Amino acid sequence: MGPEIVAYPFLFLAIFFESFILVTFLSKPARRARGRVASSETPSVAIIVPCLNESATVAATCESLLALEYPAEKLSVILVDNGSTDTTPEVMARFKDHPQVTLLLEKNRGKHLAVNAGIATTTADIVGCLDADSFVEPGALREMVGCFENLQVGATTAAMSVHRPRNILQHMQNAEYIYGIVLRHSMSTVNGIHVTPGPFSLYRRETVVRLGGFRAAYQTEDLEMCLRLQKAGYLIEHAPHARVYTKAPHTLFALLKQRTRWTSGFLRNMFNYRGMIGNRRYGALGMIVLPIAFPAMLGGITMFFASLLLFGTSVVHAYQIRDGIPFSYAYLPHAPAFDWFYIPSSVYLLLVAVTIIGMLTLIALGKRISKTPGSLLQGMISYLLLYSLIAPLWLMRSTVDVAIGKKRAWR
Amino acid sequence: MSLTARNALIALGITVLIVGTIAYAIQYLDRQRIAEISAIEDQIAIDTLSLETQFSLLASAPCESATSTELIAEFSDLGERLSYTESQLGSNNAQVIQLKKQYTLLEIRDYLATKQLAAACGLKPVTVLYFYSNAGDCTTCDRAGYTLSYLHDTYPALRVYSFDYHLDLGALKTLISIAKVKEEFPAFIVNGTTSYDFISLEDLESRFPKGALSTTTVSH
Repeated sequence: MGPEIVAYPFLFLAIFFESFILVTFLSKPARRARGRVASSETPSVAIIVPCLNESATVAATCESLLALEYPAEKLSVILVDNGSTDTTPEVMARFKDHPQVTLLLEKNRGKHLAVNAGIATTTADIVGCLDADSFVEPGALREMVGCFENLQVGATTAAMSVHRPRNILQHMQNAEYIYGIVLRHSMSTVNGIHVTPGPFSLYRRETVVRLGGFRAAYQTEDLEMCLRLQKAGYLIEHAPHARVYTKAPHTLFALLKQRTRWTSGFLRNMFNYRGMIGNRRYGALGMIVLPIAFPAMLGGITMFFASLLLFGTSVVHAYQIRDGIPFSYAYLPHAPAFDWFYIPSSVYLLLVAVTIIGMLTLIALGKRISKTPGSLLQGMISYLLLYSLIAPLWLMRSTVDVAIGKKRAWR
Repeated sequence: MSLTARNALIALGITVLIVGTIAYAIQYLDRQRIAEISAIEDQIAIDTLSLETQFSLLASAPCESATSTELIAEFSDLGERLSYTESQLGSNNAQVIQLKKQYTLLEIRDYLATKQLAAACGLKPVTVLYFYSNAGDCTTCDRAGYTLSYLHDTYPALRVYSFDYHLDLGALKTLISIAKVKEEFPAFIVNGTTSYDFISLEDLESRFPKGALSTTTVSH
């Protein structure tokens, strides 16, 4: 037995979790949710766009909102500048005469206060949040508002993917986001969603106000609000046909920074909401999603080091034993005839293969149910090649940050 | 039962089924590998016995058999399979040890038959007896083994016999005793001359009789 033995419990958990998503995906309530048609109801909706130095994208974000297929008199857009130091206020000013748009200029006191300021100016039934680097498809809102016909629903999330992925990192994130679609779709069936992402989530305004609005929550106010809604007994829905696209970090450093913020925010919020972990009252969220998150993080780090050790020792050993042997014999392929005897086979390899196949299946399902356009081939390849190498970096960084109490700037 | 509990139970069942199927499949493959090695050993045993019987029947050496590379190739193939299986199942696996003992016996018998045939037919085959250890006391054995594989693939008539020094087998202990092989690894006996340690390919080649490697290639 080598270092791979430490990976077995994590692989078992990974296969269990993937199976759970798949079984839930195939269940009747999930099938019914997928078959739900866009609502004909049109409650009043206000979409709040908090902006901090988003001059490059905020105009397109606002235009995508104004292009939503929704009665103009029922839809308003609130652009909240959160103390930008670039030309964001000037870009926002282009919309000052638009009858559906309200402009607010705030000091930079945190995203949560910018959103709360927006909520305070509206009496709409539904309030939405859209990050200023995200863009909605015209039919998205109609797909989502129908979820609020159930009065127990406190929030609804959309089907998020990466806006025009260009490099390998963005393709990797695109595959991950699309996996998130099927994950949230399945989890919404058993009320197991733990975050209502910034790129387009809708909330029942009255509920948010009753719960005291958004909080700072370690720069992950969307996650905290979702947990608070869950704790208060509300349901979190998901609209898999409501497509929204968001800009994804294109450099490794930016990605690490973003994910460290998300992960450390999750860990810190989980400390505040630790009573939900393993609590049967919170169903799938309390018994499966939150408890599995911790071994999943530990597994990501452990498997990273175990694989590194396995791969490293194999490469070094292979190099050492070939030392001094002619290159053509030692390193060039010999075109061997196929022989089943030498097929690499071990419990570890096959478990990893099953986990990968499960993940690729879920990504493909996410794309299928959301009808997200574009090819996923590059996304899947980059996800397979990079994710398990990069994710442990932010997992370790955020774990250390939380352990030593280090706080980082948003950007 | 709630939908969550029902789905979790089904997912758990699927997971156990997948893990169980994988474990069974691996065991099945390992059993098949063992069976294949066993079948090859049986075949080699028959070939070796046939050679020895021919020798006895004719009361002289069947010299055309002495230059055949078929048996050498069979040995090489068997050795590689056994080595791969050992790496998969571990050197402490009872079946692996049993197969290694049979393989070692076949090697010794072939080595003796080769010596007899060479003497009777006036041939000068190049043979290497290679003694290694899996007990963690040989840091260069993997390199030495790979280098011998390279030499054998390059010079197909070269007869390489590999022995696990610590294998608990009477015939092997006798061979070690007769050849006076010390417990130092790796150990090589090239055409009767014993040497120890492994430094490089060039160093190993220098232990072969001059010109031996270039003349050991046999056309099929």
